[in-house]
Amino acid sequence: MRKVLAMLLIGSVFCGMMAGCGSSERAGDEQSASGTKGTDTEESGSEEGSTGGETNLTFAWWGNQTRNEMTQGAIDLYVSENPGVTIDGQFAEFNDYWNKMATSSAGHTLPDIIQMDYGYIEQYANNDLLLDLTPYIEDGTLNVSDIDEKNLNVGKVGDGIYGICLTVSPPALTYNKTLLDENGITVKNNMSMEEFFDVCREVYEKTGYKTNISYGNDVYLTYLLRANDEVLYEKGKLGVKSPESLQKYFEIYELGLEEGWLLDPGVFAERTLGSMEQDAMVYGNSPETMSWCSFIWANQLSAIQNAAPEGMELDMVTYPSPDPEKCNFLKPSQLFCVTVDSKNSEEAVKFIDFLVNSQECNEILLCERGILTNTKMGEAIIPKLSDADKKAIEFTNNVIIPTSSQVNPAPPEGSSEVSSLIGKMIERGCYQEISAEDAAQEIFDQGNEIMAANADK
Amino acid sequence: MAKTKRTIGHSLLTKESSAGVLFTLPFTVGFLMFMIVPMGISLYYSFCEYNILSEPKFIGLDNFIKMFTDDAIYMTSLKVTFFFAFVSVPIRLVFALIVALILLRTTKVTGFYRAAYYLPSIIGGSVAVAILWKRMFAIDGVVNALLGKIGIETSFSWLGDKRTAIWVLILLSVWQFGSSMLIFLSALKQIPSNLYESARVDGAGKIAQFFKITLPLLTPTIFFNLVMQMINGFLAFTQSMIITQGKPLNSTLFYAVYVYQQSFEFYNTGYGAAMAWVMLALIGAVTGILFATKKFWVYEGGL
Repeated sequence: MRKVLAMLLIGSVFCGMMAGCGSSERAGDEQSASGTKGTDTEESGSEEGSTGGETNLTFAWWGNQTRNEMTQGAIDLYVSENPGVTIDGQFAEFNDYWNKMATSSAGHTLPDIIQMDYGYIEQYANNDLLLDLTPYIEDGTLNVSDIDEKNLNVGKVGDGIYGICLTVSPPALTYNKTLLDENGITVKNNMSMEEFFDVCREVYEKTGYKTNISYGNDVYLTYLLRANDEVLYEKGKLGVKSPESLQKYFEIYELGLEEGWLLDPGVFAERTLGSMEQDAMVYGNSPETMSWCSFIWANQLSAIQNAAPEGMELDMVTYPSPDPEKCNFLKPSQLFCVTVDSKNSEEAVKFIDFLVNSQECNEILLCERGILTNTKMGEAIIPKLSDADKKAIEFTNNVIIPTSSQVNPAPPEGSSEVSSLIGKMIERGCYQEISAEDAAQEIFDQGNEIMAANADK
Repeated sequence: MAKTKRTIGHSLLTKESSAGVLFTLPFTVGFLMFMIVPMGISLYYSFCEYNILSEPKFIGLDNFIKMFTDDAIYMTSLKVTFFFAFVSVPIRLVFALIVALILLRTTKVTGFYRAAYYLPSIIGGSVAVAILWKRMFAIDGVVNALLGKIGIETSFSWLGDKRTAIWVLILLSVWQFGSSMLIFLSALKQIPSNLYESARVDGAGKIAQFFKITLPLLTPTIFFNLVMQMINGFLAFTQSMIITQGKPLNSTLFYAVYVYQQSFEFYNTGYGAAMAWVMLALIGAVTGILFATKKFWVYEGGL
């Protein structure tokens, strides 16, 4: 009997660590939950968030080294202009950022100001985690008069405005210009799929550099589906009518594998996906582990250029597409929100106003997050821009805006799980573990199931 | 009246058990608050649909049913974890025992070696070592560079190939044999030397001595190490989370990592909690089986 007891004891103590892990954030939850519910968010300004006349704000964003430095610069400027206010800047990579936000929301300890993605705002607003900014816009604390209506509506969920869209950015195929120039290879805007494949083949034959096609994410797939008027994520289901259009996408990988120009998936096993610093276009030590291009967003050019080795010049063209006009779009790249957990919401809103309207601030941030929605400000900072930023702006204004369509609606709940499923399928496809047909079928079946399950919630 | 109160207070203070309760209070409070309460809550969540952002909704056994009928990745993670635990733990114990036997002889430098071999156990589970490991086995890492030095030029991706990735993690785990080694070492020292003397007199060689004396007398220690390391093996998290995140093709997707992904990346926290509880049951079962086999191979008698 004693042995059994001893065994149970050992077992339970160790597993406790694990079972507890699933919800360790909950311990403090009860207290702080009652804390925030009991106090009105607006009135409680002088309680925990501030001490001795000081206002402490926290501000979280995702990003890269370039953005972190710039944003910290903007924070320093604000703090120096506003004595008595301190701002604690917190940053993480995109994926980690959302894990962190989710757990903080459970503990009711969300930062005062958070950077918000178009893909998450519905979910956060619908779960009452964000503050409606309408009253502040009405009383003038937050001046959005220079942001046009279309961009302002991006932050609208139901009747409230929950986020201010600071920047927009189009998808852009960035490429290693130095490499292509040296070998006399040209790329152009609005390439057809066949033209793009020819470039991939030519680059591979001449230089040994391979091609990374949006590995592990759904960005390019979403983009291509727009050519058939299909929206990947719809409420409760996938917006594709049959697995065929998904299959067409996966056939690109099959083609690349067959012809040898697709980047080996083993390269990505040791990288943080989505990190500009570790992107296969700028990071790697031999042609067979590097890509000549990267499917990213125009605003990311400055960050990835900063991460590139000396002497590597980057440039961008549109994603290859059978129908550029339908496929191209401007994505609201960054929204800023005040959370319900903020004890100093008024001060937090003032900081967002600073981000939108301060010229000095935007001279620091420049266009790293995208083209400013505050058009006046966008013009004012042009002289300060780096070459990479100027390229991104020219690209957006001259290439994208004249031939583009409306962005897809904000993806509903469940999309992040399906997105991860697509990433996994791309992985399996690249390892030749699954055929394009089967991958498409699996995404179609499981994806619809996941979206449906999330719609019932 | 007042007097009796004081006596009661006094006797409470002087009672030995009160002191015991008082001194264990820091642990008890911590254990209750940070273990039992969260465990209770997580048990509740395991029966709920809970996405962290909104309130949990009770759905009965659905999470558990889904796990075993409709989640291929779950089964993969289970397989990976069992493979990892059942391969890495025995190798680690054999390694620990061999090193302990070598370090048993006292020379001037054994103290240094004991500390040196114990070091990986202290730092091995850390994030820094995991990152170091990742760099070592990268395509342009030190392992391939060393292979190049001995004439095997390669750009093999150790972490990118599903046949080798798990072994990189197993190797890291085996490398952390220090704590088992120390326990073996102290057990080895407790084996009375007169047993060896009489064995020698009877003409037993070194190998016979090891198998007839050392090993049988070590079985209780081996058993202890086995149980503890097995539990640790099932709960392994950091290595996979930092080095591979389950890549490639889920071939290194440890159970605990999948729990984390479901809970915090896909926001299926209820499902994650259910998975954690199933793991509790599984570890209980494996530990139970180990205890059941104890009477067949563990020597518990006196000398």
